[in-house]
Amino acid sequence: MADVSLKKVGKTYENASANTIEDLSLDIRSGEFVVLVGPSGCGKSTTLRMLAGLEELSEGEIWIANRRVDELEPRDRNIAMVFQNYALYPHMTVAQNMSFGLRLAGMDKAEIRRRVEEAAKLLDIAPLLDRRPKQLSGGQRQRVAMGRAMVRDPAVFLFDEPLSNLDAKLRGQMRAEIRRLHKRLKATTVYVTHDQVEAMTLADRVVVLNKGKIEQQGTPQELYERPATRFVAGFIGSPTMNFLPAKVVTESTRPALRIGEATIPVPAHKAETVLQRVGQDIEIGLRPEHFLVDGPADLSATIDMAELLGPTTLVHFTLAGMTCSAMLPPELAAPEGEVQSLRIAFDRMSIFDPKTGHAL
Amino acid sequence: MKKHHMRRAFFVTLVIALILCCFLAPYAWIVASSFKNQLTLFNDVTPLSWKAFLPVGGTIENYQSLFKRTNVLTALANTAIVAGGQVALTLLLCSMAAYSLTRVSFPGAKIVFVLILLTFLLPIEALMVPLYQVVSGLGLSNTLLGVMIPWVASPFGLFLLKQAFEELPVELEDAARIDGAGHVRIFFSIVLPNVKVPMLTLGLITFLFSWNSFLWPLVIVQDPANQVIQVAIAQQGSPTQLPNWGETFAGATVATLPLILLFLLLQKYFTQGMTTSGIKG
Ligand SMILES: Nc1ncnc2c1ncn2[C@@H]1O[C@H](COP(=O)(O)OP(=O)(O)OP(=O)(O)O)[C@@H](O)[C@H]1O
Ligand SMILES: [Mg+2]
Repeated sequence: MADVSLKKVGKTYENASANTIEDLSLDIRSGEFVVLVGPSGCGKSTTLRMLAGLEELSEGEIWIANRRVDELEPRDRNIAMVFQNYALYPHMTVAQNMSFGLRLAGMDKAEIRRRVEEAAKLLDIAPLLDRRPKQLSGGQRQRVAMGRAMVRDPAVFLFDEPLSNLDAKLRGQMRAEIRRLHKRLKATTVYVTHDQVEAMTLADRVVVLNKGKIEQQGTPQELYERPATRFVAGFIGSPTMNFLPAKVVTESTRPALRIGEATIPVPAHKAETVLQRVGQDIEIGLRPEHFLVDGPADLSATIDMAELLGPTTLVHFTLAGMTCSAMLPPELAAPEGEVQSLRIAFDRMSIFDPKTGHAL
Repeated sequence: MKKHHMRRAFFVTLVIALILCCFLAPYAWIVASSFKNQLTLFNDVTPLSWKAFLPVGGTIENYQSLFKRTNVLTALANTAIVAGGQVALTLLLCSMAAYSLTRVSFPGAKIVFVLILLTFLLPIEALMVPLYQVVSGLGLSNTLLGVMIPWVASPFGLFLLKQAFEELPVELEDAARIDGAGHVRIFFSIVLPNVKVPMLTLGLITFLFSWNSFLWPLVIVQDPANQVIQVAIAQQGSPTQLPNWGETFAGATVATLPLILLFLLLQKYFTQGMTTSGIKG
């Protein structure tokens, strides 16, 4: 177990015009499960590969367990990595795959056996030890790849989209399994994914990357409830947040927001910030569950489409020229083509500056 | 429906059989003739009769005199050494060159690769004189090393293996680095075991090429003790006499036999090599 710190790390690939990673600083506590999440090409893999020692830094430092490691070879960093395509050695059996690193390190044969068997038992792959990777299913390969990482007993586990080659059901299972293993091994873990559901379910702390910079970091709940930017708000949560243009007005000296035809009050804790922007345009963000059907209606809309999801119904409608979606109890959702009255849980909404994208 | 299929299968088989006959006929003739004396041999082809392709009136005299009178056994051994050595050196050199051209990026890598491939286009005949000057300048004329050395840097081999390396996921090497393997270890323990088939293919093609080579060994080796089989057979007749054709054919049979055995043994890889190098590239 070890603390990991990235200090002002930068990366510019040769023959690339822009910096891939810029001035990235991140402190990870020992035993913490940190998920790096962001859209494709934002630099997640690059960051992880720099941590692993597979990619050189252009700037900055990396520290693991109070030791500067960015000049060290991967094997000297006390890390293990699980790759998206598993990267199992095709010509070796499962047991040989898992023990390759230990054999290179010259570890005692009996100790290698013990570790491989222990990991295999933990991962439920004991009967597969003599098979070749080709003879395994995707989920089994994934387990072997994790086993290979585990037998090294590393201070830090690195995962690069380990579940993206699995089907949805297996992905859910493996997610739970990874979480369980982390609880048990308590090793510091850095996990890269572009799937925000994975990020939300696995992480102690989520770090949202955008264009090589940290956009926001925090617990899944913090990111979900208080996104710092419009980008994070849109990226985290599924179905995605609704963004609506609004204008700040005053109604009997209290600030209010005009959204299309409707006027809604501003939550008390936002009143002061909003008051400084009377007459200006802002953007509000409402999650699908922030539309309610009980109590006095704030506005009404014609339902364009209703999707039955089982426990809830997702209705789509147009508000202030924007397509919106709301999650409603199935029995209260209006059918397609009819008018639905909606109340807005305005105390939970987010407000953004439309120019900078920052939350107000 | 079924009848139609049967008829089709019949025609396909017939065509294949015909093509096969065209290819096999010369070999059948060579083998059959190697068991005949000079007179029978000529009688069977003027006019051409079916007897030409069968060892009728067989005699093993040709083989007896071949092994007694000529150095064919030495030549066979020389050829085996040359072909074996050429295979080993070609595999080592081409795999390392192809690997560095695939995985190590250095300025001008593309140009280097294209230049190497261009040498592929030069006919061997055009290279004879300069090659002779270089190899004899190195003091390697009349040696077995001199016979194999110009061909071990094979552009074809480089090309074949480069394709194979490109299809190998880079993550394998990343994983091996994390497991603590260095460059050499990664190359020999992770990369090479995963390109076995292309390596075998290249080995086979090299072996065939080396075994059948004639012109270069003829040029670079004068000493009969270091001569290879193809040249030895061609030179076995004495300059003052008509060649003893039966004996020549016996020599040709002996020279071809190891190749046929090898082919039967490794046929799978051989055809694979032909198709991958031709179409898939
Ligand atoms: N070896 C390389 N040489 C040059 N540019 C690279 C290299 N590897 C990655 N890049 C560039 O760096 C940027 C970040 O790549 P990276 O692989 O880190 O993205 P990512 O966040 O992991 O994306 P994804 O979700 O698609 O895996 C991309 O624009 C990519 O094109
Ligand atoms: Mg990636």
